[in-house]
Amino acid sequence: MPEGPLLTQLDLELRGIRKRYGSFTAVDGVSLEVGKGQFVCLLGPSGCGKTTTLRCIAGLEEPDDGDILIGGREVTGDPPWKRDIAMMFQDFALFPHMSVAKQIGFGLEMQGRPRAEIEARVREVLASFEILPLADRRPASLSGGQKQRVALARAMVTEPRILLLDEPIGALDYSLRETVMLELKLLQQRSGISFIWVTHDQNEAFSLGDLVVVMNHARIEQQGPPEEILARPRTPFVAGFVQGNNVFRGKAGAIEAGLLRIVTEVGEFLVPAGAHTAAPGALVSFSVRAERIIDQPDAAVRNRVTGRCTAVEFFGAVRRHVLELADGSLLKYDQFGALAPRFVTGQVVDLGWRAEDAVLHAP
Amino acid sequence: MTQVTIAKAEAPAAAPRRAVRRLDHRTRSRITAWMLGGITLLFLLYQWLPILTLGLLSFSGPTGGTTFPMNGVSLHWYRELWDASIMNDFKPPLARSFLLALACSATTVVLAVMAAQAVRGRFRGNGLFFYLLLLGIMAPGILVGFGFALLMRLMGIELSWDTTAFVTHVTWTLPFGFLTMLAVFNRFDARLEEAALTLGASRLTTFRRVTLPIVLPGVMGAGLFGFSLSYDEYPRSLFTTGADLTLPLAVMAQLDRQLTPELYAIGTTTTAFSFIAIGIFTFAFWVLRRRVQARKP
Repeated sequence: MPEGPLLTQLDLELRGIRKRYGSFTAVDGVSLEVGKGQFVCLLGPSGCGKTTTLRCIAGLEEPDDGDILIGGREVTGDPPWKRDIAMMFQDFALFPHMSVAKQIGFGLEMQGRPRAEIEARVREVLASFEILPLADRRPASLSGGQKQRVALARAMVTEPRILLLDEPIGALDYSLRETVMLELKLLQQRSGISFIWVTHDQNEAFSLGDLVVVMNHARIEQQGPPEEILARPRTPFVAGFVQGNNVFRGKAGAIEAGLLRIVTEVGEFLVPAGAHTAAPGALVSFSVRAERIIDQPDAAVRNRVTGRCTAVEFFGAVRRHVLELADGSLLKYDQFGALAPRFVTGQVVDLGWRAEDAVLHAP
Repeated sequence: MTQVTIAKAEAPAAAPRRAVRRLDHRTRSRITAWMLGGITLLFLLYQWLPILTLGLLSFSGPTGGTTFPMNGVSLHWYRELWDASIMNDFKPPLARSFLLALACSATTVVLAVMAAQAVRGRFRGNGLFFYLLLLGIMAPGILVGFGFALLMRLMGIELSWDTTAFVTHVTWTLPFGFLTMLAVFNRFDARLEEAALTLGASRLTTFRRVTLPIVLPGVMGAGLFGFSLSYDEYPRSLFTTGADLTLPLAVMAQLDRQLTPELYAIGTTTTAFSFIAIGIFTFAFWVLRRRVQARKP
């Protein structure tokens, strides 16, 4: 492993990437820095530009504007085969006419390595991915999980600087995903290869990514460690997209002792103002996580609502109560541990949250 | 358990009463199958009986005529064909037609793959290009040939089977090959090529190692179209071939002069030739399919 200056070098840098298809803007000024051996998840709804961004990095699409640097080297305009990358596709894109061994050796063959070296390396990779018995099989006779391993082995055999993964486990059975996710995380940590993982599944993004990049409408809404995105959503979109947030909209009032008063349909609330500078009366939004909601708040809790319980959901480790507020909007209240439901459907209850648990969004 | 058995026993009791009034769907679909099968058989007979008739009459005895009833059974007309001057008349046209068909086949394959790749990649005016290319199928052959011959004469180019006729044939065979390749590429997963590109293969290598092996069955099909359509082409050859005739032209000329079972022997022989060519292609196709398909574990 190279040490020293390389450690501070970026594996990938995007500077203002823009891509248009006719009048449709797919990627609009995306900038991103990926450090050495980072696991980055591009997260967003379908059509948000995450896959186009990935394809621009791969060189399968040419951005209209902006620069792409891989390992500090400018690659904008270079074809895919001249970039230090590999890509894994959602349905794996295995070559139907090649055996598993041939397929995995393909990248090495393209690098012009000697035959003996290719054979040895392929066997080594087959063994490490535990697919040695599949060496002579064709893709058509493999199961989904086996195909996934072959596709991953094929992409990683050349030890690229960056591995691009487009919804890599989306085609797998749900029960397989958890295991595969852990394996991939461990593999990424061991290999030191940077992973750029595109997904619309926030569970994948938050459990895998060192860096999560939330995209919407061709732009990056927020990027940061998963904890930060969960705890401090920067925009109403992020707060609404990430599960477990209660989003409130209202008019800004005065700031007292660092707390901004916000007037909403369901009452007045105090939210840490931070660097908030908007004039009183401006439309603002804030969010509170469902697990921060307090049942039967005492007098010290200044943000209070009354709601009627409409549904109780059970997610294994979390029991979620959905309550309808005065204006018809819904409030989520999460209870941890497999306890009995706190409320029954139809029950009217008082809830609240501490002012410091609310997060004010950027305008 | 008991409840389930009771429910099962009751169900069929209700069914026969309905069957009395109307034929149940199984009987009806069986009748439909027989009817459609019958029509298909009639059609196939209609298609193949004329050829079988010619084939049968070509085996008639030395005194046999060109119509039924057959006077004896012999290989007389085939022997005649081999020895007599008539075969010497037909050998060169046969060789020309065979070479011409091979050349058309090869040209069709190359151009069809390139044209289909171009349309697949989408370019400005690719819709117009598509229709212009298909015009080769729509345009009446005799007019295409005549117009082409006029043009060549105007330009002072001498008509010949291996130049002018060849070009005219390709305008006819190319659209068929092109449509075949379009259909094949329609089912082709472009991500396979992208996977190869990201694994370090250049575009040319990607085509050679990934695209071509996968679409090869379609390429064989385009080649087969090129061969068989050119081999028996008459209208486009009529005005563009010049002095040295191709086989269909020579046969037509002979038909005008005299009609003997010898001609039937020629027809049967060339049909056999076509079948052999198709057989070779089909075999190659089958071998390639097996190579592409999954080996049984």
